[in-house]
Amino acid sequence: MSYAPLSVRAPVRDAVRRFLADVVPLDRVREISATESGFDPVAWRRLATELDVQALVVPASYGGADGGWADLAVVAEEMGRALTPGPFLATLGLALPAIVATGDEAAAADLLPGIARGDTVATLAWAGDDGTWALDPTRVTATRAGDESWRLTGHRSYVLDGHVAGLLLVCAETADGPGLFAVHGDAAGLRRTVQPTMDQTRRLARLDLSEVPARRLACASVADVVAQALDRASILLGADMVGGAQACLDASVAYAREREQFGRPIGSFQAVKHLCAEMLVQIEAARSAVRYASFALDERPAEVPALACLVKALAGEAYLRAAGDNVQIHGGIGFTWEHPAHLYLKRARSSDGLFGRADLQRRALADRIGL
Amino acid sequence: MTHHLEDRRDVDGSLCDLLDLGPDAISFRDEVRDWLARNVTDEARAIPADRHRLSGHREALRRWTDALRAAGYLCVAWPREYGGRGLSGIEVALLNEEFARAGVQRVTLGMGETLVGPSIIAHGTEEQKARLLPRIVAGQDRYCQGFSEPGAGSDLASLRTRGDVRGDEVVVNGQKVWTSWYKDATVLFCLCRTDPEVPQHQGISYVLIPIERDGKPNGVEFRPLRQMTGQSDFAETFLTDARAPLDNVIGGLGGGWKVAMTTLGNERGGTATTRYVAFRDELLDLVAECRRRGLVGDPLVRDRLAWAWSQVEVMRFMALDLLASLAAGEAPGTAGAGSVNKVFWSEYQQRLGEIAVELLGPDGLLVGPDYRLDQWSQLFLTSRSHTIWGGTAQVQRNIIGERLLGLPREPRPPARSRS
Repeated sequence: MSYAPLSVRAPVRDAVRRFLADVVPLDRVREISATESGFDPVAWRRLATELDVQALVVPASYGGADGGWADLAVVAEEMGRALTPGPFLATLGLALPAIVATGDEAAAADLLPGIARGDTVATLAWAGDDGTWALDPTRVTATRAGDESWRLTGHRSYVLDGHVAGLLLVCAETADGPGLFAVHGDAAGLRRTVQPTMDQTRRLARLDLSEVPARRLACASVADVVAQALDRASILLGADMVGGAQACLDASVAYAREREQFGRPIGSFQAVKHLCAEMLVQIEAARSAVRYASFALDERPAEVPALACLVKALAGEAYLRAAGDNVQIHGGIGFTWEHPAHLYLKRARSSDGLFGRADLQRRALADRIGL
Repeated sequence: MTHHLEDRRDVDGSLCDLLDLGPDAISFRDEVRDWLARNVTDEARAIPADRHRLSGHREALRRWTDALRAAGYLCVAWPREYGGRGLSGIEVALLNEEFARAGVQRVTLGMGETLVGPSIIAHGTEEQKARLLPRIVAGQDRYCQGFSEPGAGSDLASLRTRGDVRGDEVVVNGQKVWTSWYKDATVLFCLCRTDPEVPQHQGISYVLIPIERDGKPNGVEFRPLRQMTGQSDFAETFLTDARAPLDNVIGGLGGGWKVAMTTLGNERGGTATTRYVAFRDELLDLVAECRRRGLVGDPLVRDRLAWAWSQVEVMRFMALDLLASLAAGEAPGTAGAGSVNKVFWSEYQQRLGEIAVELLGPDGLLVGPDYRLDQWSQLFLTSRSHTIWGGTAQVQRNIIGERLLGLPREPRPPARSRS
């Protein structure tokens, strides 16, 4: 497949944009965000039945549409633009690629169709508590409880949507090295606690596991599986950030055109105009990078590891800047709870921080390009 | 890691290979590739891209330019009937990629090819196109630019150089500055005010002034300006009763502003699709230098180089977006898209220059005999001009704000009387 011009994705973009405006408009985002779970199961279900989003990149042999990541990235961009809460990133960015990457066909046949149908919310728990987001299997230990059965004990923090996931993929240490395990959300011995987040649209949870029954997924290298999942999640998150940053730019421009001070629209002042122009330059750069990276997911897999870091760093910095300047351009109203500007600023902060902020991404990029 | 970044210069191959190109484009590319395989010489490959390092290569550059002219590889985007090759945007990109792959310059004929020619094609009469364009391709007319004035930089329309129509001639008097490429030039393309009574933008004419007429001086005097690099790439230009035939006015008397905007549009758009190749080579040179100095293990150095790599990659991706649109037959961007490119690459270059001289430590404080600059001091200093020429970074941001984002213009102060 060749590199397609932006216009090719317009039908997907328009369909998702209409769906989100209808099903999860900003008022609804605020309502969902005010609940403890921050999750709207009805919207998640409709995303599957009306747009087939959860099935998009699932292989056809497991009930999926065998579609492209380039389309899924467009979905993510629209969700970022609309501040959509929910387990999209955890399920499709982290858990789904992790299962596929194991190569465990039996597990894939059992777990993927539920994801594709929109029945299963899933996530991946791999990191330690040190804030590097690196794989740390030692927080959880796994012991064999029978031929096919294992028991997990330990804890994991900062698990994306861990409180609502029906399927938790947990990395744990075994006697023969790191392993990847599937745990039911309602398994005995599992305690899940929401960790209140500054970003009201994205939830993290702590998992405490005590002799929790689990199924081990066969895989050659847990580190490789986690790396592949993180690369995909980083690119989807990059798309989410580009969408959010674009929404900030749109809001700033609209406000700067109508708000008058000193007898003229504030957008006619260069100090304001140049903030908007700079947002656009950085967003265009990040969007080009996201587009190429999602193309590479489908067509140039060898380039993906470097691109994931590159995209995550660029989009993170572009979004933080756009969200901050959007508050600034709105002045006092932009500092209120009522105005949505803070929702973007907080999502920008959580997006940049999730999986490692920009400088950590550049450190990994340097390693991956052979510096 | 078993490989080093700087050892894989063309790891990502051709952008055009990623596109769905028709058979015509493929056969064109094969034709170019075949010509290059038969004609590239070692001396052509050795010609440096930096004009300050040309000494010792001037004859080779002349021979290579002649070879390209004979094969029809100059001014390739111009219509065939005026000496060009009539290539589409995609074909120009293919050509550039093949030249880059072969390690040789795709020579452009300076401002004649990049600025004046496109303005004549857009605004000239049939007579002007037929008379002037082939002379540029043949190398007979070599242009230098007379736009800016001491009192008219970013605010170009406030220019004061006068053009008086006398008979079938325009007689030009005034002073220009930042005249680039003056050393080798035969014609000055110049903006002058031919009607002081009408509003600013309406009284300007775009005139091509020969520097000599019949072997005699034509009132065009250059005084070289020494820039912060110590080199003299620009001149101040003094015009004293310099004469040009009315036939050399492009776009008609008083119609010069729109012609100038075409020129600047070209300058600002530029070679967006292959610019990243040179920037990548430059960055990989810096990486190699850092490795020689044992710096690449330093986390701060790694952060900066990884940042620079990201920026160069983004230029590759933006080029690919543009090419994909062209390949799909879509209009290449909107007004102001060139400004996004200009801001991005000029500020990248400036930052890279800063990074480079910082990383070189005390060696970054030194220059050679006669103020000779190494690659990195040259970049550090030269890149200061990139955010000034062709519309400053601030003017570009105004264009982005007004044309791409639709923000209101700054109110103009009441018109002052011109004396």
